[in-house]
Amino acid sequence: MAKVSVINTGKLPLDKCRFVMQSHYMQTNWAEENLQTIRTLMERSTLYRRALAPIVIYAGVIGVLTAAAGLFFHFERSQIFGLVWLSAAVVAVAGAFLIVRRQALKDDEPFWSPPTRRVAQTLLPPLAAGLFLGIIFSLTGLAEILPYLWALFYGCALHSAGFFIPRGLKWFGWIYIILVSLALGLVAFGYIKINISGHWLMGFFFGVLHLVYGAYLYLTEKGKNAA
Amino acid sequence: MNPEPFLQLDRVIHEKGRLAIMSMLAAAPELSFTELRDALGMTDGNLTTHIKALQQEGYVSVAKSYQNRRPLTTCTLTAAGRKAFTEYIDLLEKIVRQNKNK
Repeated sequence: MAKVSVINTGKLPLDKCRFVMQSHYMQTNWAEENLQTIRTLMERSTLYRRALAPIVIYAGVIGVLTAAAGLFFHFERSQIFGLVWLSAAVVAVAGAFLIVRRQALKDDEPFWSPPTRRVAQTLLPPLAAGLFLGIIFSLTGLAEILPYLWALFYGCALHSAGFFIPRGLKWFGWIYIILVSLALGLVAFGYIKINISGHWLMGFFFGVLHLVYGAYLYLTEKGKNAA
Repeated sequence: MNPEPFLQLDRVIHEKGRLAIMSMLAAAPELSFTELRDALGMTDGNLTTHIKALQQEGYVSVAKSYQNRRPLTTCTLTAAGRKAFTEYIDLLEKIVRQNKNK
């Protein structure tokens, strides 16, 4: 009786037909959600498990060479310092892209894959901030602070990217963050002077640290697809 | 709806944790136990149980070695595992297609 009255009032009861319709909807939903989860996990898993060691070594070499050139040619003026190191960064980033692209072509995989895009998106905010402040501080004659700022931003960028790239990248980012924080603390307490040649600092942060990490990657890598 | 695809789904893979492990392994040549654990946020015990279940089914092979004098456990998808995973995906897509066509 109760069911009849519900039908008579025009409301849909939860009868068998409705249950089946709901079940169909849920199954489609469930299947789609599962497929999406699988896709996400696969993308997360396919991240740069290649080419990380050559990229890091390459960046280290660029860092050391730029620092050596800066010290040798006395590129100490704020604008020149900024220009030299921003140019080095452009060369390093372009080279890194070429290495990744070459690896992708070799493995017959798309270069601008969703994982690559995600890592690029992760790196973008801190690196863009570093670029922006680099230009501003260089032009306003405050380049002494730039090695610390750049290393700090870079550390944050590596740490974020480390969530998608294995092989201790997160820890490598932490090393930058801790070292810069300690160094700036020492500057604040007056133990070291901030006007120490930026090229030494940049050479250490972006040359030596990269080479050490690159050597670690090479020594510990397993198989051709390991980072 | 034709219930057949749903009933054909591999029960071993269909479990949430094991499906996540299979998905990760399907896209990488091999993954260490630690990488899987960290990426999936599983406990050691939970991951071990799921990997054992997949291993028993012949879907995953486990290799133990040493790296920097520390034990390293790596997991790889076997050919049977890859086939089962592909079939599972195909069935899911079939279910979605079937329901969309209704």
